[in-house]
Amino acid sequence: MSNKNSRRNFLVNASYGLGGLAVTGMLPGGGLISAVSAADFVDPLAPKKPHHAAKATSVIWLHMSGAPSTLDLFDYKPELVRLHGQPLPDSFAKNLKTATDGGVGALYATKRTWKQHGESGAWFSDLVPNLSKYADDIAFLKGSKTEGSTHVIASLKLHTSGLVPGRPALGSWIQYGLGAGNPDLPAFVVLQNGTSSGGGGRNQVIWSSGFLPAVYQGTGFRQGDSPILHLDRPAAVSDAGQRQTLDLLADLNRHHASNYPADTELEARLRSYDLAYRMQKSAPEAVDLSKETDATKALYGLDDESTAVYGTNLLRARRLVERGVRFVHVISGSPDDSLPDWDAHREIERNHGVMAKLVDKPIAGLLADLKSRGLLESTLIVWTSEFGRTPYGQTGDGRDHNPWGFTSWIAGGGVKAGITHGATDEIGLRAAEGIVDTYDLQATILHLLGLDHRQLTFEYQGRQERATTVFGDVVKEVVG
Amino acid sequence: MKMKIAYLAVAWSIGSVVAMDVSAATEPAAETAGARARRAAQAQQHWAYVPVSKPAIPQVENAQWVRTPIDALILAQLEAKGIKPSADADRATLIRRVTLDTWGLIPTPEEVDAFVNDQSPNAYEKLVDRLLESPRYGERWGRRWLDLTRHADSDGYNADGTRPNAWRYRDYVIQAFNSDKPYNVFIKEQLAGDELWPERKDALVATGFLRNFPDEINARDLNLKKQEIANDLTDTVSEVFLGTTANCAQCHNHKFDKFSQKEYYQLQAFFSNASFRDDVLPLSGKALEDYQQRQAKWEEATRDVRAQIDTILKPYIEKAEADRLLGFVPETRVSITKPEAERSAYDKWIHHRNLWTMSGRTRNAANNLRRDDKATYAKYEKLTAELKTFDGLKPVDPGFLSTAFELGKESPPTHVLFKGIYDKPEEEVQPGFPSMLTNEQPVIVPTANSSGRRTALANWIANSDNPLTARVFVNRVWNQYFGRGLVNTVGDFGKMGQKPVNPALLDYLADTFVKGDWSVKNLQREILLSSVYRQASDHRGDTLAVDPKNTLLYAFPRQRMDAEQIRDSILYASGLLEEKIGGPSVFPPIPANFDNRNTWKVSDRLADQHRRSAYVFIRRNTPYALLDTFDLANPNLVHGTREVTTTAPQALALANSELVLEWSKALAGRVIREAGDSDLARIERLYKIALGRAPDTVEKASLLAFLDRQEKVLVAQREAGKPIQTPVGAKDTPAVVATVEGLYKTLYGRTPDKFERLALVSHLDSQQDKFAKAEPGDDSEGAIPFKSDLKGQSRSSRERNAAFVDAVHAVVNSNEFSYRF
Repeated sequence: MSNKNSRRNFLVNASYGLGGLAVTGMLPGGGLISAVSAADFVDPLAPKKPHHAAKATSVIWLHMSGAPSTLDLFDYKPELVRLHGQPLPDSFAKNLKTATDGGVGALYATKRTWKQHGESGAWFSDLVPNLSKYADDIAFLKGSKTEGSTHVIASLKLHTSGLVPGRPALGSWIQYGLGAGNPDLPAFVVLQNGTSSGGGGRNQVIWSSGFLPAVYQGTGFRQGDSPILHLDRPAAVSDAGQRQTLDLLADLNRHHASNYPADTELEARLRSYDLAYRMQKSAPEAVDLSKETDATKALYGLDDESTAVYGTNLLRARRLVERGVRFVHVISGSPDDSLPDWDAHREIERNHGVMAKLVDKPIAGLLADLKSRGLLESTLIVWTSEFGRTPYGQTGDGRDHNPWGFTSWIAGGGVKAGITHGATDEIGLRAAEGIVDTYDLQATILHLLGLDHRQLTFEYQGRQERATTVFGDVVKEVVG
Repeated sequence: MKMKIAYLAVAWSIGSVVAMDVSAATEPAAETAGARARRAAQAQQHWAYVPVSKPAIPQVENAQWVRTPIDALILAQLEAKGIKPSADADRATLIRRVTLDTWGLIPTPEEVDAFVNDQSPNAYEKLVDRLLESPRYGERWGRRWLDLTRHADSDGYNADGTRPNAWRYRDYVIQAFNSDKPYNVFIKEQLAGDELWPERKDALVATGFLRNFPDEINARDLNLKKQEIANDLTDTVSEVFLGTTANCAQCHNHKFDKFSQKEYYQLQAFFSNASFRDDVLPLSGKALEDYQQRQAKWEEATRDVRAQIDTILKPYIEKAEADRLLGFVPETRVSITKPEAERSAYDKWIHHRNLWTMSGRTRNAANNLRRDDKATYAKYEKLTAELKTFDGLKPVDPGFLSTAFELGKESPPTHVLFKGIYDKPEEEVQPGFPSMLTNEQPVIVPTANSSGRRTALANWIANSDNPLTARVFVNRVWNQYFGRGLVNTVGDFGKMGQKPVNPALLDYLADTFVKGDWSVKNLQREILLSSVYRQASDHRGDTLAVDPKNTLLYAFPRQRMDAEQIRDSILYASGLLEEKIGGPSVFPPIPANFDNRNTWKVSDRLADQHRRSAYVFIRRNTPYALLDTFDLANPNLVHGTREVTTTAPQALALANSELVLEWSKALAGRVIREAGDSDLARIERLYKIALGRAPDTVEKASLLAFLDRQEKVLVAQREAGKPIQTPVGAKDTPAVVATVEGLYKTLYGRTPDKFERLALVSHLDSQQDKFAKAEPGDDSEGAIPFKSDLKGQSRSSRERNAAFVDAVHAVVNSNEFSYRF
């Protein structure tokens, strides 16, 4: 068993292999397969064909954790300005299930300056001066709505379509449906910033694979050079030493496997070590910004302390989709301890001043960068949150949670650019037309990726489960 | 194609219920008596709902292969297909398999030798008995039961706060398996222990089964929360005990099983009065009396100072409660604020739920006081300091236990809910059993302060006539031993589930189990003693065309070890496993760069860091990474089967984790200690410990060649001034133990435990390494205090020893170590 020889054979074998990040035998919910024979072998991350031609191959989901007030960003309501200071009219308050500390406050007008931008004439407030330059690339969903009055419940619904934990996140479904675009990187990556764990769920519960196999769960990338846990060799192990140890391991495994010629799972486990060895290089490379130009870095605001951390995550997101990662989930956290996140129950001006500054330039930079590289056509950008904020005030200078009506937007991969779909009522309390629930948003994202949300199913507990449960309609109006 | 569409149309599931704008006309939920009877008649035909009957044991050709009726039932199917079963596995393989399956640990070399050399005709029977008698058995099988129960040490959702009492339920389960508690009793205790045995603390703890649901402690809509809990209990109990996916009927009549929406809510009605508390003293008898006496003395002595504190805090507590109240939706507020006399059973539940989850209000009140009124706060601080001076009178804090309980005999009403939406009630229903399973009506007898509903349900589930209970359980046991159930959809015995591959065997096992007084150990013993279980897992080229998936079990299906088996077995092989049974959960080390450090405070005691995985704290949102990588159960779900994924992150975890490398170093140290200096002797000992066998010539040659190659790399590494690894505990000889213990006594006045001793020895080793750096290649010429004790222990070069650590690490990472064949 010459080492050289076996190593070469190994590479030859590997090149015929499926090249997936992972290989499996069994599936949950009772399991399908005991991988005794090659016929059973399934690589859960092997690329799979979509149901129809895909318009986008990757998603960057910009999750605004804590719920921004879209009434202060995109949804301009002159009527709310007119009614400022008045109690919520009964006609609007009817059947409103509020759970407000201190009750429903008086209507509270935006304090921002507003302007229409681009050919589309979309409204933007002065909180997002950079983003407003991309008015004609964006499709606004101004009739967004959801359920649930606490961050975690609404966040679970947004990401998993369930109100209790246990369902898979959309990113997990997409991996399940399409496989990995790059076998050397996780297909579903989560990037987050900030130290607080405030509303909206910066917790694994919103990127869990739920009842799908664990292999589909999101991988949290950490900041710094070594994005994945256990990516670095132990301190006293050198590259040369590890390579030899892994070669010995491969020798031992191959010798043992000769007794089990039909056992592909053992073969897969053997290969997983070579893949792991490659990941030790590929994952740090994917997040290494040293080869990016100063101009690119400036585009994302890396030269400014107030935007550098979030900008770094977005630049990483671009590098990841460039390398075939399917779903990058970027969660905006608070830049410092003075704020929880977007959750402005008080001092909305200060809060949104900081939070909007945090994301405005980096997001504009991301759109510009993707465009200039021709990547925006294949990358779907989703900007949303667990809910919006109320048109009535709270604690004098804040706004409460509003699951009834708010704005989300999407751009890029297959999206009809420069349009506005749907609207809230005159004061921005409830979605009034073109209503888009989280299920519809998910169905639309799947559609743009070439997946039919009614066909993408997984059998669990005797049911064919879907990402969007029994709900969800593709928002055809925004599909280009 | 039509079928497909119909199938998709019911691919619903919403996991919970919410208020939605539903304008559609109400669907008729009520069923006519005729329809109900028709459905009942149809249901009779489904195999899982007909009574269990003892099957005839078939005649087989190869009669000498048959050791138990299980074998005859398997062999009959094989012979019908012309397949021969496999021969028994060799004894070394068999003892490794059965030890991993019953204990979750690999056997020791001594255990392997004893079994291999045991000439007695009942050597294997003795082995199985020994394994089933050990408390390690409950630690493995109890953990797998916990998979089904949503058990965790935290609440889940965003806050994910600690549940300080949750470990007691874990210990109850482990103890239940170890004491071979009859399964029917086990069911009753978990579903209704509080009603049936209110005086028994362990029966209260058993209802932790119900209490384990993930919970949003800050829920603002307690009416919705009540419905979510009721759904969770209905769905969990149906799936765990009855293998029935009842939740399909939450919103509409079950499309495939004869389970109406009304019946779903009738089942749910058994839980409508189930409430929970986390503040019961875990003491009884004399211990409780002693505690109460001491507590009374303390209360008497501190009456005055406590009254003063209460007076100061009262307005702040009231303010905190008022603020909290405003956070609830209006409907919830109504129930909470009603005067006690006017509270309905429903209001009582909501009211209690608010109290039950209102923790830390004194602390919040004190914080607010400090913020608002410095002077009074100073007074408050003085009083609390004074209160502290009485701590000597206080009894030892025994902690609390959590339990289900009820707030009275009367239950809140249960309604059919339109599309499962919690505030769209339709017809009111009473508790009832699914008609597809029985015509029996529940007999509900209230106790002094409980509805008695859960007792009625538990009695029906645990009844030997229930067609599902025993079938579902024996199938779970079979699934765990063979990696596949006789019914492969272990949680779904309905029409959408798979049919049993061997219905007669399933019924044989269920029948024997019930008639054997529901003894879980006897059930397992019979399976373990069968020829089916003892078969080799070797490759069978002759069967690929007939039964490629080995569905009929002509060979034993090898399985990758699960997360706990991997961690515990490496720890055990390296001599580091701390075998303490039970107690609060522990926090083993996490990687230095782990992100959520604040959710994971590593246990202070080294011994605690080396406990079995069954005792590792389960935080729902921050699972222990090393275990989670290997497909740990998801505590938010009823997790019936551990998936087996094979991923690069798993390889990274085992190869790169400093922790696992420490274990390999300790294993290397043990091998060197036990085998001495010869490379070959070390390799042989390593194989014996890790794999239970001797290495063959190819493996020996491969490892020896590796040591030569790796030594060169390590010499270069050391000459470049870089650190290399050292085996840990290689010098843990009696002489060194004495030296270290002497040192410890001088320093700390006590004897070190094994972990402290190893840490000290390891530290001294690294010191020695530093001293020796000036003379690379030279071995033990360091200036450490007990140098003389090392003479003759290890003449290998330091690099050779470091290379051996890498060889050990390769074996620990190997397929053969990570699987049981």
